[in-house]
Amino acid sequence: MPEYCGYAGRVLRIDLESNQVKVQHTNKRLITEFLGGRGFNSKRLYDEVPKDADPLSPQNKLIFATGPLVGTAFPLGARFNVTAKSPLTRILGDSNAGGHFAAEMKFAGYDQLIIEGKSPKPVYIFIEDQEIQMKKAEHLAGKDVYETTETIKKDSGDRTVQVAAVGPAAENRVLYAGVFANLVRPAARTGIGTVMASKNLKAVAVKGTGSIRIAAPGKFWKIVEEIEEETYVHPQYWPRRTMGTTRIMMLADKLGILPTRHFTSATFQHASQVSGERLAREYNVKNRACFSCIVPCSRVYVIREGEYAGLHGEGPEYEALSSFTARVGNSNLDLALKAVDLANRLGLDAITTAECIAWSMELYEKGELTKKETDNLELKWGNSEAILALIQKIAYREGFGDLLADGVRRAAEKLGRGKEIAFHVKGLEIIQADPRGLKGYGLGYAVASRGADHLRSEPFVELSDDPKRGVEMFGVPEATLRLAHKGKGKLVRYFENWCAVIDSLEVCKNLAGNMELLPFDRAAEATEAVTGFHFTEDAMFEIGERIVDLERAYLVREGIRRRDDYLPARFLKEPLPNGLSKGEIFEIEPMLDEYYAEREWNLRTGIPKAEKLRKTGLGYVIEDLKRNGVKIK
Amino acid sequence: MKRILVDVNRCSGCRVCEMVCSFNHENAFGPSISRITVIKEDSYGLDLPIVCWHCNPCYAMESCPEEALERGKEGLVLANEEKCVGCEKCLETCTIGAIKLHPEENFPLICDQCNGKPLCVEKCPTKALTYRETEAQQPRSPSQVVKEALRRWRIIA
Repeated sequence: MPEYCGYAGRVLRIDLESNQVKVQHTNKRLITEFLGGRGFNSKRLYDEVPKDADPLSPQNKLIFATGPLVGTAFPLGARFNVTAKSPLTRILGDSNAGGHFAAEMKFAGYDQLIIEGKSPKPVYIFIEDQEIQMKKAEHLAGKDVYETTETIKKDSGDRTVQVAAVGPAAENRVLYAGVFANLVRPAARTGIGTVMASKNLKAVAVKGTGSIRIAAPGKFWKIVEEIEEETYVHPQYWPRRTMGTTRIMMLADKLGILPTRHFTSATFQHASQVSGERLAREYNVKNRACFSCIVPCSRVYVIREGEYAGLHGEGPEYEALSSFTARVGNSNLDLALKAVDLANRLGLDAITTAECIAWSMELYEKGELTKKETDNLELKWGNSEAILALIQKIAYREGFGDLLADGVRRAAEKLGRGKEIAFHVKGLEIIQADPRGLKGYGLGYAVASRGADHLRSEPFVELSDDPKRGVEMFGVPEATLRLAHKGKGKLVRYFENWCAVIDSLEVCKNLAGNMELLPFDRAAEATEAVTGFHFTEDAMFEIGERIVDLERAYLVREGIRRRDDYLPARFLKEPLPNGLSKGEIFEIEPMLDEYYAEREWNLRTGIPKAEKLRKTGLGYVIEDLKRNGVKIK
Repeated sequence: MKRILVDVNRCSGCRVCEMVCSFNHENAFGPSISRITVIKEDSYGLDLPIVCWHCNPCYAMESCPEEALERGKEGLVLANEEKCVGCEKCLETCTIGAIKLHPEENFPLICDQCNGKPLCVEKCPTKALTYRETEAQQPRSPSQVVKEALRRWRIIA
């Protein structure tokens, strides 16, 4: 094995069918072309999971990877991606999580973990440095995320073991179950937890006693100090430390982009009651942080009185909080905390769960869904009993929950109603920001490689509403005005590339991105200092471009075209009814034109041009796409 | 003497202390080669760094059959790598579990306060670690610290 700096240097491949374990070294070319984490995983998925593979069959692979900066004192967190073909969207499935699992993977000696086949019996994988065991998991069947994690820790006799587990939702084949590390840190989106359970795999537990060396300590510590200095005086430092992302609740309400009662309103009259500010004032007792992160933005809350007195936990973040408050019309904060806790324990994606509930509530309120169909649940906005009952029913596929357990796209198809208000893109449910009031984000949802999602682009500079930044960065003042359509193709392309790099280095987008602590040039310097491989600002940008192009090629191979890069009709046709963005609609076609032109993808089809793929070093993809019947020019 | 003190209310469990400690002493990043260890219990949101108090008397020192733990200047407990045979007795007798063995070289890793400028303290992002003069010759029991904290936070009754 070559000795690497930064990288652990090994890729672990486990075949659950035959119980075979293989260790390969981390390929140097892979490093320089794809960096790590998400880049490694997307490349692996493209190469190893063929077109039309059934996501819940043994043919699918479940791939974990982390990045070169993880497992050091680099101060921007430590994440891991989990990738597979998604059972929910049937395209690229991918999600990442923070906490302490990723660093443990590195200390155990692995950059990537590829899980193949399907185990004949329920198992969990136990990795202790070079020793890999498939352990019996019959006693874990049906256990929730908390119970599973605790049982594995007890069984191992070691409290420091890091566990990534799935809950009953995944075992019951709910198509949007996540993989949960540190109990509440889910790689939740796109149903990768469901893929894990389909392999008869309940958890991956890791313990590592190894260590990570770095190539240029002098340079490394200089960069660390620069980041520390900027962080501690950053205007977002204290708001993040006090509220984490829940600070967005009031901000989104003020801007008129808070999806309320299933996007029928852009402000929520009870926002302050369910806000991050209120959590900080009345519930939070202390802070927590991901591995090696200097901004402890995670909070421990305790409910002190009332129906749920005694309930405590870590989080929530804005997405889950907003999911179970504004989106479903609920103004009871305690209930929202209970709902998030329940969804975590059962192992569900909070965003998708809430969209399914909110979708059925809108149909019910309109009289298009009756009590007969909903197991007698009164699906009125904010009905607390119904919200908790539906989470449970979804996880166990009971009654009406069975319909919702396939995600909102399939639910609408099966029910034959509500298709026009099923808020998803490519089968992945839309997050908690109304695209009509955030045009760059909206374009991001439309083109993101895993379906509707902000974390593939997170073009936060448009929130600045500062035309100077638009001119500076893209030569277009409108690019950084949130309500403008122009320049957003440039904006989204740039930030997609950046996010791909951040996801591949496996650091935190809140810090690296939103707080602008890791721009391309510093990302290059830091990665070079840690790994000893030469990286430049341009090379980083190009790596981002390559990852996005390859992911697009994967989608194209599965049949995705321009027609699939869309937003649901409400955003295109119905003006925002209220708030600071009142009257706004989303004009998608010109934005797509601009975006494709920037990317050098075919305007009509959305397929990357052959010439472009050659330019990003993806020449081999052209032949492969042709072999799979794609007409590529 | 000066000691590293821990504020369990402030600790975020980020383990920056483990990272800077291991790098400063062993030139590599790894919890298993760090002389400070953060105990974490996710279900309680608890994070508690454990680091040598340099007790007087030191039970680990008294229990060492090879006399490999010595009292250095300024009262620090130091490991003599030459004398240590890796019997792990000190791991059991240290009252707060602050000693671990180097995973490869098998000698006890004990905090040496970085020659009077502990890096873990300097780099702690939440100031949960402080370096101060203290009279107490024995540390508070970690389980007591934990119990009090969980009560204070109202996580347990």
